[in-house]
Amino acid sequence: MSSIVPAMRHVRGFDVARPLSIGMLVFMMLPLVFLPLASIFIFGTSNGLDKFWAALTAPEAIFALKLSMATSFWATVFNVIFGLFAAYVLSRYNFWGRNALIVTISLPTAIPTAVAGFALLLLWGPYGTLGRLLAPHGFQIMFTAWAIILANIFVTFPLAFGVIKPVFDTMSHSLEEASATIGATRWQTFWHVTLPSLRGAIVSGALLTFARAVGEFGSTILVSGNLAGRTQTAPLYIFAKFNEGQIEAANAIAIVLALFSFLIFSVLFFARDWLDVD
Amino acid sequence: MRKCTSRGNPFLATAALITALLAASCLPTPPGESGDITITLYGFSIMKESLEKAIFPGFTAKWKQDHGQTVQFQSSFAGSETVTNQILRGAPAEIAILSIERDVQRLQKDGFVTADWHSLPGNGIVNKTPFVIIVRQGNPKGIHDFSDLAKPGIRLIHPDPISSGGAQWSILAIYGSELMKSATKPEDADKPKALQTLRAIWKNVISTPGSAREARTTFELGNGDALITYELEALLMKEAKAPIEVVVPQSTIFSEHPAVVIDKNISAAKRPVIDAFMQYLWSDEAQQAFVKFHFYSSTNDAFNQANKDFGHIEMPFTIEYFHGWDKAYPEVIEGIFRDQVQRK
Amino acid sequence: MAKAKETLIPRMEEPVSSAPPSTAAASVVGISKRFGKASVLENISFDVGEGEVLVLLGASGSGKTTILRIIAGLEMPYTGKVILHGKDVTELPARERGVGVIFQSYALFPKMTVEKNIGYGLRIRKRKRKEIKETVNELLSLVQLEEHRKKYPSQLSGGQQQRVAIARTLAYKPEVLLFDEPFGALDTQTRVHLRREIRTLLKKVNVPSIFITHDQEEALELGDRVAVLNVGHIEQIGTPFEIYNHPATEYVATFLGAANVLDAVVRQDFIEVGSAKIPLTVDKEKFKPGDCVKIVFRPEDVSLQRGDLMRSGHARLASAIIEEIAFVGAYERVRLQIEAGDGCKTDETRFLLTTETPDRKPSKSIIATRPKPEASATRLHVGERVVVALTSFTVLPPQGSKGAN
Repeated sequence: MSSIVPAMRHVRGFDVARPLSIGMLVFMMLPLVFLPLASIFIFGTSNGLDKFWAALTAPEAIFALKLSMATSFWATVFNVIFGLFAAYVLSRYNFWGRNALIVTISLPTAIPTAVAGFALLLLWGPYGTLGRLLAPHGFQIMFTAWAIILANIFVTFPLAFGVIKPVFDTMSHSLEEASATIGATRWQTFWHVTLPSLRGAIVSGALLTFARAVGEFGSTILVSGNLAGRTQTAPLYIFAKFNEGQIEAANAIAIVLALFSFLIFSVLFFARDWLDVD
Repeated sequence: MRKCTSRGNPFLATAALITALLAASCLPTPPGESGDITITLYGFSIMKESLEKAIFPGFTAKWKQDHGQTVQFQSSFAGSETVTNQILRGAPAEIAILSIERDVQRLQKDGFVTADWHSLPGNGIVNKTPFVIIVRQGNPKGIHDFSDLAKPGIRLIHPDPISSGGAQWSILAIYGSELMKSATKPEDADKPKALQTLRAIWKNVISTPGSAREARTTFELGNGDALITYELEALLMKEAKAPIEVVVPQSTIFSEHPAVVIDKNISAAKRPVIDAFMQYLWSDEAQQAFVKFHFYSSTNDAFNQANKDFGHIEMPFTIEYFHGWDKAYPEVIEGIFRDQVQRK
Repeated sequence: MAKAKETLIPRMEEPVSSAPPSTAAASVVGISKRFGKASVLENISFDVGEGEVLVLLGASGSGKTTILRIIAGLEMPYTGKVILHGKDVTELPARERGVGVIFQSYALFPKMTVEKNIGYGLRIRKRKRKEIKETVNELLSLVQLEEHRKKYPSQLSGGQQQRVAIARTLAYKPEVLLFDEPFGALDTQTRVHLRREIRTLLKKVNVPSIFITHDQEEALELGDRVAVLNVGHIEQIGTPFEIYNHPATEYVATFLGAANVLDAVVRQDFIEVGSAKIPLTVDKEKFKPGDCVKIVFRPEDVSLQRGDLMRSGHARLASAIIEEIAFVGAYERVRLQIEAGDGCKTDETRFLLTTETPDRKPSKSIIATRPKPEASATRLHVGERVVVALTSFTVLPPQGSKGAN
């Protein structure tokens, strides 16, 4: 619930704490958040809008954005479905090792993304523990777009799960029991009763996962091979352009990514009532 | 409990967003025409422009003319050591152009390069460039040689020797130039003084980016007073009208860049076109193109006259001065730099 | 079913026999349930007739919710069977039993409208759209919620939600309706109003129903028969009249309302309560002269008078001193102290009492209520001595095992 609870009146007359607190908040956010964000926008367009547009429409840039969208999309689909499944199992069944599983699911966020990428390479790379078994058969997923999806799945693994599970936990059992006594099978109950109650969590979990995956860098740069126009995602593109000294091009794409994240979180905010569980 | 009466709106917005995302779900096809043959080349950072703008198109045109097939290039650039590590981990490189011979040796060690790469023209070296110092316009700090970089208050940008081949060349340049100034043969040179200079210079390093190219970008953004880098970088920056000056030291090293075929990743079918490309690298056409991009040609000194921007180096030397990378790496990079400069 | 005659006044007209019809709509036979070592239910058996409303009445922890869940199929019994319309459903999962459960929280599906909630049972049975629509309309008018059909549960009041819950179960013609403390969440006024409505509705649809509650007033008003549960076993099943006026055990007596309990001894042709000797014919099979018993009577069975002259139908119990008088609106509640008499003590305890407290006579407090007209007519005062007379009482064996009923 993000509605305002008005502050209590502590003093007679004019309360200086109010403007002071608000002012301090904005003041602190300036150098930490506002200005860095603003500088991307300012710098990206400082060389003229035509250069900005040229940077945006460069084929490699468009490819990078599309690749980011697509890989993030599939990683999100997988993680939301898995998150649903895991939340169901871990919320409804008790078994030895259950708590360990819950902690393990949450681990990927604590691991530095470069470590994650490296671990994936060590496992699936052509000379990796499992990869070497697949390589002779022509299966090589490292250094392809599939590797990016895999890395994204790993890094954003617990996000959707973390949003969905609390809803499962607090969901009243009597709803499911009622559905059962009415005559519904387990699947019918899940589809008609459980899922609609999860709608909000699914959407916000998906959007969170997606936003995070789009911005993923540390693991992608290791597993993708960073081939421009082939396996270079938007964050990788920005980094490459920066390294080449093409700051405007880097900024152009950075602006696109920033706007996109802004859009996602705006939707999450404005639709929050609809997304809330009743 | 009131329900949000405009139930429709947020639903619509979310639905619209999700539809848009769905539309984006297909993996994109790479831009540009899909050629008949693709060659994957991993290069160290500063190779990018010359390859993409001159060498690749040049070869593509030639191959099309001779064989009627379209060749497409995929490339990835990073610090030389990083590129090598990527290849060792399985990056699908078919050709690699690296900054230092040692990286080739690492690839050879793990069986990625099996052919004798020295048998290629120019001893396997595709081009070279001397190491110079870049300073701000007007040279406000009065830097005229490596030893000036040891002055207190100088802020130096230097790439990270762990990931950048250029960084290792730079260290050899500094150390070697000091030795050269005291004597022609390293055995007679004043080692302690050179070490002291190296130490003093390294104290002034404020940032160590991962590759030569990254170091240049950092410098361009206004960090630091000086940057040690390949001359070609300096000339590219001057071309782009950056407010810099190039300081050519009295004595400096020429970096020599090997180009190798990653035999492990080549299929028999690809062999002909790969070999043809390798030969092309040493063709007059390619070498002259390199010179245009401010590299020194490794095959023909005459070509180098064409580039009027090259600086004049009084006492140039190469890795031979250190008796090759086999000696230089353990003795200087590890023995002198790592053990006595960095760790102290 | 012995009809022991312990009362002095002729029996009031009772409702039709408390035995259910021989073809029960639902029965529960020998159900028991354990949680670990603890026995939660023991040998529960009862029937519910067609169109009958049976109330399971008990305090928290008496196991009534467990019985309901076992009948519904949400829990498995340790022993026993559940039979619905002749079919043994004990092994069947909840989904296949065809029961209708109205949960305490109503468990309406929050993301479905009232219509969709009601139609759910038919939708999952894959009925035709037309049939669903007709049934839903029928039920909406039955529970009088037509103008709320498009609303969501959160927009309805508690009473309305309950009606939706009932309609939802009726849609698929359940074998039996199970109500889990349905009035718990409501305020008293709504509760009273609703239970009448529900009873009318249930009689209209004629589906056998089982209610569970801890509220004795509710049980008496709602049920055709009431089963009183005490810590996992049934103390008594009977019509409201029976269990109220002829409780079989002390627990039933005290659970259903205020009750006065006194020790007594059965004698030949009369019963000795303290110093009173009340003429009585007891069931010779149940009681012998000399048996120690208890008598139970309700506050409204007490009549207070000044003189010793007994009216017809009244029996003199004792002389008492008024301890407290409380005005409770519709009636007056009077607490009196009477001599309890020795009752049924063994020789040993009698000896102890007389040696340790030689002068103290055992006394007890009893509660009497006087309806408003009587209270206004004859004003009584604290400290006054009056004569206590009984118009009705029940005899129980002292251990609380099944009494004579």
